[in-house]
Amino acid sequence: MRVTLKNTIVAGLVASAAAFGGTALAQNVRIGFHVPLTGFAASDGMSAMRGAELAVEQINAAGGVNGRKIELVVQDDQARADQAVPLANKYVGEGLKLMVSGSFSAPTRAAASVFQAAQIPYISAYAIHPDITRAGNYVFRTAFTGEVQGRAAAKVAGDLLKKKKVTLVTLNNDFGQSLAAGFKEAAGKFGVQVVSEYTFGMQDRQFGSIVASVRKDNPEVIFLVGYYFNGGPLVAQLRAAGIKAQIIGTEGFDSQHFLDIVKGAGEGLIVATALDRGTKSTATRKFIDDFEAKYKTAADMIAASTHTAVNVAAEAVRRAGPTDSAKIRSAIAGLKDFEVAAGRLSFNELGESYKPAQIQIIRDGKYHHFATIDDPVLLAPPVK
Amino acid sequence: MYYAELLLVGIVWGCTYAMMALGLTLVYGLLRILHVAQATIFTLGAYTGLLVANHVGSLPLAFLAAALLAGVVGPLVYRVVYEPILDKPPFVALVASIGILVAMEDGFRLLFGPYGMPFSDNSFSTVTYSIGGAHLNLVQLWMIVAAVVLISAFAVFATRTRAGVAWRATVSEPAMASSFGIDVQRVRYLNFFIASLLAGVAGLLVGLLNNLVEPGMGSVISYKGLAIIVLGGLGNVPGTLVASLVLGIVESFGTVFLDKIMDRDAIAFLFLIVVLMIRPHGLLARH
Repeated sequence: MRVTLKNTIVAGLVASAAAFGGTALAQNVRIGFHVPLTGFAASDGMSAMRGAELAVEQINAAGGVNGRKIELVVQDDQARADQAVPLANKYVGEGLKLMVSGSFSAPTRAAASVFQAAQIPYISAYAIHPDITRAGNYVFRTAFTGEVQGRAAAKVAGDLLKKKKVTLVTLNNDFGQSLAAGFKEAAGKFGVQVVSEYTFGMQDRQFGSIVASVRKDNPEVIFLVGYYFNGGPLVAQLRAAGIKAQIIGTEGFDSQHFLDIVKGAGEGLIVATALDRGTKSTATRKFIDDFEAKYKTAADMIAASTHTAVNVAAEAVRRAGPTDSAKIRSAIAGLKDFEVAAGRLSFNELGESYKPAQIQIIRDGKYHHFATIDDPVLLAPPVK
Repeated sequence: MYYAELLLVGIVWGCTYAMMALGLTLVYGLLRILHVAQATIFTLGAYTGLLVANHVGSLPLAFLAAALLAGVVGPLVYRVVYEPILDKPPFVALVASIGILVAMEDGFRLLFGPYGMPFSDNSFSTVTYSIGGAHLNLVQLWMIVAAVVLISAFAVFATRTRAGVAWRATVSEPAMASSFGIDVQRVRYLNFFIASLLAGVAGLLVGLLNNLVEPGMGSVISYKGLAIIVLGGLGNVPGTLVASLVLGIVESFGTVFLDKIMDRDAIAFLFLIVVLMIRPHGLLARH
């Protein structure tokens, strides 16, 4: 008897929750968000998740879009392309009208063609592979492509620091190689000579032989491309071996975790990234402050990127309404100088965005503003 | 001098591999299990050491804790996971082992977060020595010393003590050893204790070298460890040690000279394929 009664109550509760939940959901604007919450990229996935959640919280606190709350429909893609396709099909099946990728290039590239075919607007927050936006006119990117970041770093080395001899040490995936390609492409323009090049793998944490080689080459600048978990140990090992050359890193190092690993060895290191700590932009300042207040840790580039992408999505819904994906697409494409955490965004015909590169330097264990490169020619995103 | 430095780096890597692979080959020799989950013990050692070092502030205590906890959990894995399936075909234990590795990687992630954790004081890796122009930091030196000391201690144990003789007897003739009154169960626990202790210490040393302890830090080294014990001739202890050193050195040079063609982790497996084509029974095989 007791069991039956308990079951009845539970069933009743579930039913009413479903009913209330159902009505609430119907009114919400649902934005799909796939992100690596487990697997090797889970750390970046957590930053991505936090940035997106903060954006939703802020937007809803300010009244939502057109009186409706926005809601993320989150799925874990493990940063794997083979997970991304079924997952993308699931989103399509659920009838979502708008998608944000909080993930790496491999899954984003794979999912992009699914969303393009289904004509669902898809915004890549920080995946950098050039093929992503080539999937079609429904695909957008709020981040820099790798080549653009690489060109910015070459300008830092040759133009801002007036150094000539550079050694490249880059991760052997699309991220590392597209940045290296951009750097080499622009190096000549700034009188920079690449004296040697080394690559390393995603799982490498010990770089003894690369460190020995860099010491032998004796460059003035070392351009390093990697993520915090391989770049951190690499920088520490270079400095421990007494190598004093200026190190220029990229957005992959733009996180508190990088600073925690390198500690003192990071002093003076410069990164080319999208998040300006010395910003005068209210959108960026609010993002940095609210992030720290909510998560008790410093904001990073990835969180800024997903925060940006969710805001772009919400703005498009504000302008076009939540139901017609073709109108939402046009609204995204039509954004001009839209102010977000990662700067002022405008999209070109390929769906790529232009924004200035933020050059930051580590002093006293924190990132500080060093320079801003606002050069629409040098940093022009690809158009085809 | 540059080449001497690469050689030295290779020896440090080789010592890391030796500490992992010795345990793998011991377990294989005794039970014919490919103990992939050894990498979980490696990561466990690193996390244990990091937590003790960061909260208590003593590195010797961190090493002790890492060695002991790893040494306890290893035999526990044997008792709980492997022992009930010993009569099944070997791949059953291998599947279970991979299962532990995958599950525990996410287990560490749930417990300690996905970002990995740095040591709050890791000044040791910045203390550098110059040996004939080649540079080595204190932790790299410890890695070599730990490998030499622990592996020598194991050699003394295996050849000079009663327990060591019992262990060797069990490896070569388990049924005979048992009928001569050797407690086979104890030998197996001892085997896992030694293997896990080595892995735990290696894990902490690698954590210190990287200044980063992360959930997935064991996955590459575990598969590489399997390649090494095959290279060494499965169950062959001296072969495994030689294979570890050779692979470390090949990788050290390969990272710099082959990096346009393949990644460091691919070198290990290419090397494995080449050696197996020339010497199918392993580097030190007699036939």
